[in-house]
Amino acid sequence: MIDVKGLKKSFGDNHVLRGVDLKVEKGEIVTMIGPSGAGKTTLLRSLNWLDAPDAGTIRIDDAEIDAARAGKKAVKRLRSKTAMVFQHYNLFNNKTALENVTESLIMVKKLSKETAKARGKELLDRVGLSDKYNAYPSFLSGGQQQRVGIARALAVDPKVILFDEPTSALDPEWVNEVLTVMTEIAREGMTMVVVSHEMRFVRDVSTRVLLLDDGQILEDGTPEQVFKNPQHERAQQFLKLAHLE
Amino acid sequence: MGKIFDIQFMISTIPQIGSKLPVTLWIAFLSGFIALILGFIIAMIRYFNVRVLSPLCKLFVSFMRGTPAMVQLLVAYYGVPILLRGMNEGLGTRFSVNGIPAAAFAVFALSLNSGAFMSETIRGAMMAIDAGQLEACYSVNLSAGQALRRIILPQAFTNALPALGNSFISLLKETSLVFNISVIEMMAQAKITGSRSYRFFEVYIVVALIYWAVCFLMERVLAVVEEKVRRYERRAVK
Repeated sequence: MIDVKGLKKSFGDNHVLRGVDLKVEKGEIVTMIGPSGAGKTTLLRSLNWLDAPDAGTIRIDDAEIDAARAGKKAVKRLRSKTAMVFQHYNLFNNKTALENVTESLIMVKKLSKETAKARGKELLDRVGLSDKYNAYPSFLSGGQQQRVGIARALAVDPKVILFDEPTSALDPEWVNEVLTVMTEIAREGMTMVVVSHEMRFVRDVSTRVLLLDDGQILEDGTPEQVFKNPQHERAQQFLKLAHLE
Repeated sequence: MGKIFDIQFMISTIPQIGSKLPVTLWIAFLSGFIALILGFIIAMIRYFNVRVLSPLCKLFVSFMRGTPAMVQLLVAYYGVPILLRGMNEGLGTRFSVNGIPAAAFAVFALSLNSGAFMSETIRGAMMAIDAGQLEACYSVNLSAGQALRRIILPQAFTNALPALGNSFISLLKETSLVFNISVIEMMAQAKITGSRSYRFFEVYIVVALIYWAVCFLMERVLAVVEEKVRRYERRAVK
């Protein structure tokens, strides 16, 4: 499903990704953990080209892109395979919850307004927001906004959904409702790549954990393997510090 | 000498001075409309940092903001005919200088002036939109054009509205300068009316009140528009 080869990215002298290789199969729920500055978010954002890597190739489904010659068309094709859920939701402020979801249906998939609306309502129902169709984001709680964000991502009908710390900006009381929705989507077989330190999700839902450090994948295995038996000393240190072991 | 302040006379001049209000409004609205389009184009060039054009726009904005509107009016009034004559001689074109009404120079100068100010307002409002909005657009595969049109610009214009309204009200009042290039608008009419009777104070009070009334009306309209476009924002309780 996803095949990343030799991905490199630096901001000035700061090497954020040092040649990352990664394969993800359909239906896998991959969680990336690691110290801040390890490159988790950059790797995730490279997958839909919100960050443009300096070198390497990315293939998602049948869309392939090479950092050396990434044209607009290739970027658009890559993006059509993914959707993203953001740490700070990034809902369209000037659109209602329903319009946030239908925007891509109407503008990208070119569905009629009626069809898009019906589909949008379905998706909002699915994330438990049947009573908030016409609410603007600023009138929704953090948890509600993030669930709209997930519905908006689902509307794209992506091959993989990328989650960038989806619960870290949320008050504790809203974390559960978002995790519940994410778990449901995972159970339905969606491929997911998640940057998160939410232990309940990492342990109970992910099928695979990547531990990144200094722009490289240090540990790669089932949650059990990575937490119980990390191979590298740096990984052990991080797990200890983060109380994740 | 009669009364110190002749209120009767003052009221009697209102129809005559007011009869030139349409000229003032016409210049203001036409200039405002052109300024908005110009300001938008310059803002886009500067926002996307278009090569060659962007520094030129910067220079233009700097000049227009750094020189008085009054001077710009006179430069346009005397300069554009010279420019056209030069073009006629140099390039063999046949622009008629005499055919251009003075009001056209007024609209030309005022729209360039106001456009320069508006461009900075619009650019600032676009810069203030969080990058996350654009990233969200890209994440659902909207094109850059769609993102601008559907998400970024509507929010930017909402933010820019109070300052744009300010610019427009300034512009409306700056039309009072164009009597200097022999356009008979409201201010010019007031001067004419005043000079007939030597009661300048009364007529200036009349123009002041008419300008104020029009600007007040504009403020109300802007407030209603703003209320409408800001419906998506949550407001703190008072």
